[in-house]
Amino acid sequence: MEHEPSSILATAEVIHWIALVVMAAVYSLRLRWLFSFKLAKDRSAPGNPARSDGKRGARHSLLNVLMPWGMESTRKNFGFYLTFVLFHLGVVAGITLAFVSTVAVGFLKIPAVFVVFELLLIGAFLIGMYRILRRLLRPVMRLISTPDDYFSLTMLTVWFALGAVTEAYIYGMVAFANELILVAYLLLTSFFLLYVPFSKISHYLYYPFTRIWIGRALGHRGSYPYSRS
Amino acid sequence: MASNSGQKSHKIKMMEEQLAKKLTRQVVGSLVGCVHCGMCNECCHYVLTHPDDPKMTPSYKADQLRKLFKRSHDWTGSVIPWWVGADTAPLTDDDLEKLKDISFGTCTNCRRCTINCPMGVDTATLNRMMRGLLSHVGVMPEGVRVVSKDQWEIGNQMGVLKEDYLDTLDWMSEELEEELGHKNAAIPVDKAGAKVAYAINPREVKYDPRTIKKAALIFYAAGEDWTMASAGWDQTNFGLFSGDDNLGGACGKRVYEQVAELGSERLVISECGHGYRSTRHEAVNWSGHPVEFVMESSVFTMLRYIREGRIKVDKSRNKEPVTYHDSCNLARSCGIYEEPRELLSLVVEDFREMTPNRTENFCCTGGGGAMSMSEYTPRRLVSGSIKAKQIADTGATIVATSCHNCVDGLSDVIKHYKLGCRVEQLVDLVANALVLDETERAAAEEAADRVVAEVTRAAESLPLAGRTVLVVDDEDDVREFLTTVFADAGATVIGAAGGDEALAKARAEKPDLISLDLSMPHKDGVETFYELRKTAETEDIPVCIVTGHPEFREVVYERPVPPPEGYLEKPVNESKLVAYAKHIIEAHGRKH
Repeated sequence: MEHEPSSILATAEVIHWIALVVMAAVYSLRLRWLFSFKLAKDRSAPGNPARSDGKRGARHSLLNVLMPWGMESTRKNFGFYLTFVLFHLGVVAGITLAFVSTVAVGFLKIPAVFVVFELLLIGAFLIGMYRILRRLLRPVMRLISTPDDYFSLTMLTVWFALGAVTEAYIYGMVAFANELILVAYLLLTSFFLLYVPFSKISHYLYYPFTRIWIGRALGHRGSYPYSRS
Repeated sequence: MASNSGQKSHKIKMMEEQLAKKLTRQVVGSLVGCVHCGMCNECCHYVLTHPDDPKMTPSYKADQLRKLFKRSHDWTGSVIPWWVGADTAPLTDDDLEKLKDISFGTCTNCRRCTINCPMGVDTATLNRMMRGLLSHVGVMPEGVRVVSKDQWEIGNQMGVLKEDYLDTLDWMSEELEEELGHKNAAIPVDKAGAKVAYAINPREVKYDPRTIKKAALIFYAAGEDWTMASAGWDQTNFGLFSGDDNLGGACGKRVYEQVAELGSERLVISECGHGYRSTRHEAVNWSGHPVEFVMESSVFTMLRYIREGRIKVDKSRNKEPVTYHDSCNLARSCGIYEEPRELLSLVVEDFREMTPNRTENFCCTGGGGAMSMSEYTPRRLVSGSIKAKQIADTGATIVATSCHNCVDGLSDVIKHYKLGCRVEQLVDLVANALVLDETERAAAEEAADRVVAEVTRAAESLPLAGRTVLVVDDEDDVREFLTTVFADAGATVIGAAGGDEALAKARAEKPDLISLDLSMPHKDGVETFYELRKTAETEDIPVCIVTGHPEFREVVYERPVPPPEGYLEKPVNESKLVAYAKHIIEAHGRKH
């Protein structure tokens, strides 16, 4: 530890780590629940083996996120895809910030690191704001949104903002010189960790499975990877 | 446990029980994986053509099942349902009617949303599952109910009786032999040990029997050892559309058992998107029936014959510009992208790619059983504007496709948007390009003899000589045209401009055949047909529907009376009309 935490900060750090353990435990239960359902197996002979197979389809599907040109929805909405990438990099930065602040705070004081974190967190915050507005203003998005959708998005957006302020505090910007900022950030992160297994944010837990399953199914039929002229 | 379980209707409870039995890991993944990002929105042809109706968005449609699932199975949804939208899950039977309209009337299960979901959510499968739950409690469009019933009870989705099926094969055999000029080309039926068994779509028997003849011609030209079964010949499967896996499994099993009984090595499935997908893949899983033989689309078969030099084709015989419409089931769900194109490159001179195509092609509007749900036809035709633009942009005069539903869906779109082109299947184009070598020379010699014989025969008796035909059509020019065609064929023709007049003349004249238009003012053709069938004096008179509104077709077949003996779409070909009329009258005579 490169700083002497106050008792309130130390408590927040402990809560934060406990939240992480709880989240991991609940996630394990979540996966156990998902895997309690029977796996549907395709007994039919491979559809068009000259084109693809289950394994190839699964591999390609898992890497689909890195190929925005592969799907019409991301190809035609490349700007939205970029906001998706930045938003999720912001999540990675925010999580990293929370954990590194408790074990290696010096890393966060490196100017280059500071700049990267600030760019990612502020960028993600702005995208979060855009997404809230998009969800509120577009009739389609309003129709399909649940309270969980709004809450999860709002919470993350606030969390990004607080993360950006926290990184500024750790970096030593005078305007943000208050330890309570870090305490608040850690507590919000703890809540976030405890909440996610029960919310839509847990989608990233399922993501590899849903991608592999759809890729394997369509790959077996020979229709994936996709084909277009 | 749902917080509001006490208010659920019996049907809802049954659906929840059924849902619990149907959940697989993949389905649950799709149910929990959606983040409501809206990326699927612009991929759906219903969304794109109904921009002011947010309920068309695929995730909204899938959410109907998702809510049901979350209320019963999801941690958060079962404790605080309102937080995840499960509080608005269906509760009453009235809710089920709304769900029916969503899952059957606003989605063709084309899977375009599925392939565009960043999360890998298979929304089309979720919609099919919702259809299955609704079907389980008897909530479905009437057309789906009727067709499913026919497929369960009669063994094929159009209720074709065995005698009619065999009669049609005989008819096509006769025509083929006549064309080829010898007796070696008859369609083999129930030939044990034939290497290839050929399964078809009952639509071919009912509306388009010449596709059977063309396939038979290609098998004949390839020297194939083939057969058609007298039972278990329907490769289509309404279980795919209704979501009823039991029906789906039963349909597949009938075909598999029949092929096994014949001892064939290979099942060739005629051009039908959903039929191929169901028989080739889905029904294997639904039925759990072991399949020991190879199954392939006739597209592969025809291509193989050309590659192996078993048939010769001359692409200069298909000079018109042709584009290809990828069937959703063949392309997105079965990976058949390039083979149809390779085949077309061999049999047509001017091929033009449609944009978008392959995986990203748009639905013909007739998928998911939409052609059997006439109540949704207006919405479906609006959704067809995208397809219409795709077709028009190619400048093609022929839209080729490998699916019977697509033939009907595209024909509706072409007619509705006045595109001035027509739909053909690959079998049509291959048969037209076929070069028959020696057989053809022999046929030419025979043809000369035949001309002499036909001229003699024509003088003695025209095809409809001695027959009386009642032509019912409100449009004067159409009625006059039909009257002339039938009269030239030797028939005595009576005309009627409306339903009441037709009923009166049918009772008075007892014609041998009634040619009936569907769209007429006052008493339309559907009501007229129903009354003809319900009236003792006229119930037995064969009826051939001749209509320019194919979307009304199912309304006729939904009636609880014997179906019409024939069906033709306008504009009708004169020789086809006469041949068809003659066939109907003769078949009717044999039965009675």
